[in-house]
Amino acid sequence: MAINKNSNAYIIIYTVVMVVIVGALLAFLATSLKDKQDANVLNEQKTSIMKAFGEAEANFDEVVTIGSITDGEFVVVEDAAATFELLGDRKALAAIENNLPIFKLEKDDVVKYVLPIVGKGLWGDIWGYVSLQQTEDNVVITGIVMDHAGETPGLGAEIAAAKVQNMFQSKKLYDETGAFAVRMQKGGAQNEHQVDAISGGTKTCDGVNAMLETSISKYESFLRGAEVEAEADVEGDEVATEECCGDCCCETEEATVVEPTNEVEE
Amino acid sequence: MKLSKNFTNPLAANNPVIVQILGICSALAVTVKLEPAFVMGISVTFVCAFSNLLMSLLRNSVPSRIRIIVQLVVIATLVIVVDQVLRAFMYDVSKQLSVYVGLIITNCIVMGRVEAFALGNKPWASFVDGIANGLGYTIILVMVAFFRELFGSGSLFGQTIIPESWYIANGGFYSNTGLMLFPPMALIIVGCIIWIHRTINKDLQEK
Repeated sequence: MAINKNSNAYIIIYTVVMVVIVGALLAFLATSLKDKQDANVLNEQKTSIMKAFGEAEANFDEVVTIGSITDGEFVVVEDAAATFELLGDRKALAAIENNLPIFKLEKDDVVKYVLPIVGKGLWGDIWGYVSLQQTEDNVVITGIVMDHAGETPGLGAEIAAAKVQNMFQSKKLYDETGAFAVRMQKGGAQNEHQVDAISGGTKTCDGVNAMLETSISKYESFLRGAEVEAEADVEGDEVATEECCGDCCCETEEATVVEPTNEVEE
Repeated sequence: MKLSKNFTNPLAANNPVIVQILGICSALAVTVKLEPAFVMGISVTFVCAFSNLLMSLLRNSVPSRIRIIVQLVVIATLVIVVDQVLRAFMYDVSKQLSVYVGLIITNCIVMGRVEAFALGNKPWASFVDGIANGLGYTIILVMVAFFRELFGSGSLFGQTIIPESWYIANGGFYSNTGLMLFPPMALIIVGCIIWIHRTINKDLQEK
């Protein structure tokens, strides 16, 4: 007996069977691969943080202290999973005001902090990690990693390129008046706080500026507080600075290199 | 139609993009750089081949009144499977593709081939047809992306090609063409390819 393939009964049974098979297949796939996918996401977060620190080779678990800024103070956090879960949830991360996640890396007497940054580009979310180091009278960017959900390839999407990210190196966060001054400047950087914007990617660059300012300003009281400490430390043990190894001397050299180049531009 | 003809036809004489004018939307979206264009081409080839194969296997049981729905379910399932597997085992590639994976579902070539070929042909022929059409699409995407990336960004596959010293900023004479980075330029390049293609293949010209 031939089945009438256009009868309602056949169509309904066909659809139900199809949906059950497809649903089961996808549910099985999603649950069985979830662990691997989560591990990938976690690994990616750790690698990005290490990249921002400029220590892409080092093992995150061995060298980085996970902390949070609670009421302007650095507190060590034991529960790493909760921190990474927060980093994965960009909406929650953007809304959070206290207990801000932060990562600390101490190497050769230099302390660097990495903060997560989140914002909106032209088409969707942009996010990343910025590594900061306190100097005598300012806070300096030592590295930045940025990524995006769907900025225009070749234009806004260039914020994910190393070429753009390297330009943020050794930019000072605050100007003479103490205002937040790092930004991607249309028409080219004018001073030691600014970075060249991407031509054709103005809206994305505006998003980056807003992202940096809102995300970093949440940590301002801590960064500023620690800045004063750094100043006190430097005055306190001058001997230690003189004895210091190649790495720290490079840091100071970098800071001095920046100023003359800017004078030429002015 | 012979199988070899089946394979070579979509590559040039009956190319899905420049003859059937299918899949133009993604040709505009992903051709700013060669790498995403290439990866997109490979993904579409994969999905097109397997959706053709599956639909061809199902062709005798599918009720014709709901065949479009069945096609959509098959294609969407394949795309999700690809996406999930990439996320678990090739995380970097999956990040590269990001939104484009979703775009594959809406690619007219995939559904066009299922509807026009797989429903009326045997599984193996349909599979070959899917691969050939995917490759025909890839060829055009890569051609467009080649010109757009070279003249728009001065690079190919992300590697700088135009020497830095050529640029006006460094005292040279050259500057990248910003227009190349915008979608209308992809349409113009596709137009030029169609023009050349029709000049060579006289039988495509309307009398």
